[in-house]
Amino acid sequence: MTQSEIKPKVLYIDDAPASRRLVQRLLFNHYEFFEAPDGLTGIDKAVEVQPDLILVDLNLPQFTGYEVAARVKSLLPNVPVVALTADMAEHVREHALASGCDGYIAKPIDADTFAEQIAHFLGGQRETLTDDSFRSAYQQTLVARMEEKVRELTRALKSNAELNEQRAQLLKEVQRHARLLEAVARVSHTVTSILNLDTLVKTTVQVIGEEFGFYYVGIFLVDATGDWAVLRAGHGEAAAEMVNAGYKLKIGGLSIVGMSIAERKPLITLDASEAQLHLEHPHQPSTRSEMALPLIVGDKVIGAVLVQSREDAAFAEEDMTTLQTMADQLAVAIDNARLLKDLESTHAELVRTKTFEAIATATGEAIHWVGNKAAPIPGSVYRVREDVTRYLLMARALLAEAPAELHEHKFAQMLTLAAESLAEHDDRYNLDLLGIREELTRQPLKRLQRMLSVDSIFEDLDIVEKSARSILNIKEDLIGPARQKRLERVFLPDLLRETVRSMGIPQDVVRFLLVEDVKPVIADPDQLAHVFINLIKNAMEAMYKVEDKKLFVWVRTADDPQFIVTDITDNGEGIPPDVIDKIWVAFYTSKADRGGTGLGLPACVKIINQLGGKIRVESVIGEGTTFSVYLPVIKD
Amino acid sequence: MKEEIKVLLVDDEKLVLRSMEKSLLRAGFDVESAGNVTDALALFQEKMSGASPFDIAILDLNMPNFEGREDSNAGLKLLSKLLELQPDFAVIVLTAFDEVERAKEAVKRGARAYFVKGREADLIALVDNIINAA
Repeated sequence: MTQSEIKPKVLYIDDAPASRRLVQRLLFNHYEFFEAPDGLTGIDKAVEVQPDLILVDLNLPQFTGYEVAARVKSLLPNVPVVALTADMAEHVREHALASGCDGYIAKPIDADTFAEQIAHFLGGQRETLTDDSFRSAYQQTLVARMEEKVRELTRALKSNAELNEQRAQLLKEVQRHARLLEAVARVSHTVTSILNLDTLVKTTVQVIGEEFGFYYVGIFLVDATGDWAVLRAGHGEAAAEMVNAGYKLKIGGLSIVGMSIAERKPLITLDASEAQLHLEHPHQPSTRSEMALPLIVGDKVIGAVLVQSREDAAFAEEDMTTLQTMADQLAVAIDNARLLKDLESTHAELVRTKTFEAIATATGEAIHWVGNKAAPIPGSVYRVREDVTRYLLMARALLAEAPAELHEHKFAQMLTLAAESLAEHDDRYNLDLLGIREELTRQPLKRLQRMLSVDSIFEDLDIVEKSARSILNIKEDLIGPARQKRLERVFLPDLLRETVRSMGIPQDVVRFLLVEDVKPVIADPDQLAHVFINLIKNAMEAMYKVEDKKLFVWVRTADDPQFIVTDITDNGEGIPPDVIDKIWVAFYTSKADRGGTGLGLPACVKIINQLGGKIRVESVIGEGTTFSVYLPVIKD
Repeated sequence: MKEEIKVLLVDDEKLVLRSMEKSLLRAGFDVESAGNVTDALALFQEKMSGASPFDIAILDLNMPNFEGREDSNAGLKLLSKLLELQPDFAVIVLTAFDEVERAKEAVKRGARAYFVKGREADLIALVDNIINAA
């Protein structure tokens, strides 16, 4: 045989791979070999390749070799079909021929004769069946087989229906779960955005109740003792009354909430009797099933969520997992809200402390300041009293030696009377009249002149007056902001120009930068002028050592157009960083010797705050300081 | 003991300074005053090498310091400089009644005594005591 020759095609249908390999090996030199591992594939293959010969194993699973032979014969009536079998039962050959096979080769295959046997069949050899009873027997077998198959099919259809039903049930479960998850997501989203604890728990029970359609939802939080779970918020029947009544459950007790917290896991009541549920929940008589979800943050349980339903067995195990996810997020949100609350109260406490500190500082400064101002008064008073005493004692001594007629002079009588009245004050003021007189007598004139003079008396009176005046000056600073206000439209450029002019500040010191068309502000012009006078005075004070003094006054619209800002800038010594916060404190002053009361700035701040404005300060040591006064523009 | 006791008085509150100066003068002391620590130090150094150095100094604690800035320890700084120049020099520190702690600190650092401003007659007695003890 040459390569150009067409090889006959042989299809071999057998479920045993070893047999297929053997037959292939025996035939491939002379035949084009095709194979199939089962009956149905074999039939398809036969139709596809149109073989010249088909070999079929009779003991195929499902669709047997007999049935394959019968089917192939009806599809390809001219193709010889040869049965190949190891079946040693009686009449196998006859059964094969009855089913339509053209021949029969017994297994095991004889390698020496096999190719020759195939060649015979290809050459037209056919075996014939003599006994027709085998054909009818075969037909009966086929009918039985068909019945069996129909039964199998019926069973399969039935189980298919069951599977479909299961699938539908699963789908329903999945959809329910998805809805649950969606609700959980919505609840979680809602709760994590609320920072106030009360709002949080109230909103949460409402959202859970509405999203899931539960009959009742309650949030219990563990109290300070750790023994009780207190109802903080409820949604559903009798919820508000229970919260107000301080409804609480013992942790570790028999309630589902108490147990859930104690055991740190979600619990479901599925099989509780109606009587028992009613006993546990007298306020929610329609409860048929319930679930408690512990609220866990880190390693501590802070409470539990209780949900109740009117339906029996409303909660599935897998719901528990989903809802616990929500409870976990809720727990974190509650914990955060609590932390924030703690933080807020700490902050409030801090503010109170700071306020007290500021008041204490202000009071301390005030006492210090007044004390300092008052310090010289007692000394001066003492000296004036002593000086008056001295003069009167001198007058009396002089009169004692004067001629008698002089005694009658009304001035002499006045002086004598006055000197004598000294004794009456002796006790009260502890005047050492004798000692003073002795000293006056003893000291030489030059020394006396140094000790005693009207100048000195008047100077002491001046000291008293000035001290008293500077104490009284405080009054204006204290009362200023409280004065009756006369509010009107004020154009800051005009006010600033006039204020600076009235203060008599040299023209070469002041630089104006006034945006003339800024909007007006509402203020009492006198009070506002008082503020700017104060700030400009401060600026001038800060420059008292500077030779080339420069005072900038800059009025413009602020970055926030709702405000007009006025800058008062000096090129003075600057305010040290450690002092800059204290300047706002009442009675703090860095220039007590120059008449500062320490009330100027706090009074300014008060006035500006009352107008809805603010004062800011920026300072650089050695370069200068800028006070910025922000005032709101008139609203249209 | 010298005829006249020479007192250096330092305080930045002008009225307080003048009032104390008058009380001391009246009590017979030779008083020289300074309104700030820089002037005070210069005055002390000038007299130190002269014929009649100071016998005692009376210093306020809270006033502008050598840099001209308000400083509650300015008096303490002056005290240190004076004691550096003359270790056995007698110094009384003045204080407001609410700052006694700082005055006690000054005494620890070498001041002879502290005096709470207000009763000038007592100050005279204190100066007398310190001078007589020397």
